[in-house]
Amino acid sequence: MNAFSTFTRSACIAGCLLAVATTSSLAADKVIKIGGLLPMSGPGSYFGAQDKQGIELALDQLNKSGVNGYKFEIQYEDSACGPLPASQAAKRLIDQYKPDVLIGEECSDATLAIMPIVEEAKIPLINAGSSSIKITDPGNPWTFRIMPNEVMQGVDIATNAYKRLNARTAVLLHENTNAGIGNAQVFADTFTKLGGKVLADIGFGRDVNDFTAIATRIAGMGQADVIPTYTLEGQGLKITQALMQAGVVKGGGGNSIQLGTIWLPFGFEQKAGKAALGYIRIVQFDPTDQRSQVHDFVQAFKAKFNSEPTHLNAHAYDQILLIADVVKRGGMDAQSIRDLLAQTKNFSGVTGSVEFDKTNQNIKMDTVHYMETKPDLSWTSLKWN
Amino acid sequence: MSSIVLQQAINGIVVGSLYVLVALGLTLIYGVLVQINFAHADIVTLGAFAAYGVTHLLSGNYLAGIAAALVLGAALGWLINAGIFAPLRERGSELLPLIATIGVSIMLQNTMLALLGPIPYAFDTPYSNQVLRFGTLFLTMQNLLIILVSSISIGLLYGFMKFTFLGKALRAVSQDRETAGLMGINPNHLIMLTFVIASALAGLGGAMLGPVLVLTPFAGTSVIVKAFAIVIIGGFGNVEGTILAGLLVGLIESYTTQFLDPGLIDIVVFALLLLTLAVRPTGLIAERREENV
Repeated sequence: MNAFSTFTRSACIAGCLLAVATTSSLAADKVIKIGGLLPMSGPGSYFGAQDKQGIELALDQLNKSGVNGYKFEIQYEDSACGPLPASQAAKRLIDQYKPDVLIGEECSDATLAIMPIVEEAKIPLINAGSSSIKITDPGNPWTFRIMPNEVMQGVDIATNAYKRLNARTAVLLHENTNAGIGNAQVFADTFTKLGGKVLADIGFGRDVNDFTAIATRIAGMGQADVIPTYTLEGQGLKITQALMQAGVVKGGGGNSIQLGTIWLPFGFEQKAGKAALGYIRIVQFDPTDQRSQVHDFVQAFKAKFNSEPTHLNAHAYDQILLIADVVKRGGMDAQSIRDLLAQTKNFSGVTGSVEFDKTNQNIKMDTVHYMETKPDLSWTSLKWN
Repeated sequence: MSSIVLQQAINGIVVGSLYVLVALGLTLIYGVLVQINFAHADIVTLGAFAAYGVTHLLSGNYLAGIAAALVLGAALGWLINAGIFAPLRERGSELLPLIATIGVSIMLQNTMLALLGPIPYAFDTPYSNQVLRFGTLFLTMQNLLIILVSSISIGLLYGFMKFTFLGKALRAVSQDRETAGLMGINPNHLIMLTFVIASALAGLGGAMLGPVLVLTPFAGTSVIVKAFAIVIIGGFGNVEGTILAGLLVGLIESYTTQFLDPGLIDIVVFALLLLTLAVRPTGLIAERREENV
């Protein structure tokens, strides 16, 4: 073999290798990079743990065949449910991973801290857990919220308390965060406008462990028909048990009804025991929903994780499906994903449907479901919406 | 109103008793070593999880859970001293043990997070929901147990320190380690004993706190800041001062909740801390430092 043919053969092999490498590289480039800003440490870390399950399930399903030739990958950063760690995590994720779209955070204070960072980086952020009105009002063009905000939830639950439960007095319990204070304020405003009376507005820090003193104070106020409570799961459990021990709520022989919103996952009732009897709260996922996609999601979740899905699992699942929907409509980078997100109408997820208004707030209320804890600690859907 | 005031006093004593259990360990170690163990909070958490695990394994035997937490705490105290404090003490550094315990704390928290997950555990003992009612007053059996266990532990510790040879030797080491050594006392053994007692108290505190706390791998962190404040208010290394300060903080929390707002608890407690530092920098019960512990 002469030198020329050796060179030619080597060149052909090199060319083929280069072609294969280029093709592989192009295929690998067809990836939508998702940044996950989730609380994975601290008292809100149960959010992150459950969100990740929903995300994993959605990615498994989507990456089997891809969407418009795109696969999806995700990288997480621990945003720890607080403004400082969240903003640090967002900067790290954006600088190092360069995502096309972000999802998170769960806690309003953390989301509010992230928002200016995503706006500056021009990367869309999809949020499913933060209820503070400030996130979308005034909000920014890059932040989208797929669940009802505190005003939508607060007005609804206060109206239902007054009209359906005939409640005339309320004691507000909330953590001293943007979301806690905001939710309680909306309830108070709506309830008093309807003619109800707020007996006390009790805020507390996330470091409070023993709620017996608070329950004692409430017991000393006389009859509070409803006790709207806005706190994370851990403190929520302790509050409910303390209210039972003080004889305030039904589980302890009292008449007050605790009301709550989406902060508590399914399984709360079993942990709280009989203290949760009669607790009425909003959940944003109804696993008994008859739609086939809900049924399929529940079955797939059970098969993968051997447990029932919570609304946190469902929310995270919907966030990924919404991104896939946008990619299906032509989204391929941060700017196009943002623009197509803003045009979303009638996206149907397992928690409900999504249609954004001009502030990027989902205007659909079919994600709100009310449930009540029964004596056997199971729950029943109240079908109020 | 008087019944509410009395009820809040009971609530305050329960919370204060828990704080005392946690703070005593911190003050003991500081009294002997003039060092702070930042991993103390995580021993509290591990004690809570040990009590939770054993109680569930033994079908609700909470007393066995308390014993397990006590033993685990003692074992961890021995380990932390043998593995970290003792070797670093030999190098003569005062800063290194402090930083090392921060490292141990982070490591323990993340190990628990990996093994136990972040979702809060509901630790109900057979006594959690048994409520004793005396007219308008109420007290759960769990809270009664907290007061009893704390009182007995504090009494035993006090008796040990004041009336036993080992307790006296320990106080001698805290006053002057070198001179105590010349008197035939082995300071290293007594430092080890201090760690074991302090950590056993932390484990015990965890077992009692577990049903009260939001039980996650970060549970101890939520009480340790208060415990540090109590140690400072009571006087660093001062056992009697720590007991008094712990109960005082518990009562302040209850009455702040009743008459002001629970959101103001930290402001009131830390205002007391600043006031103590300004007016009585040696703590509520003023003693010369050499006589502490």
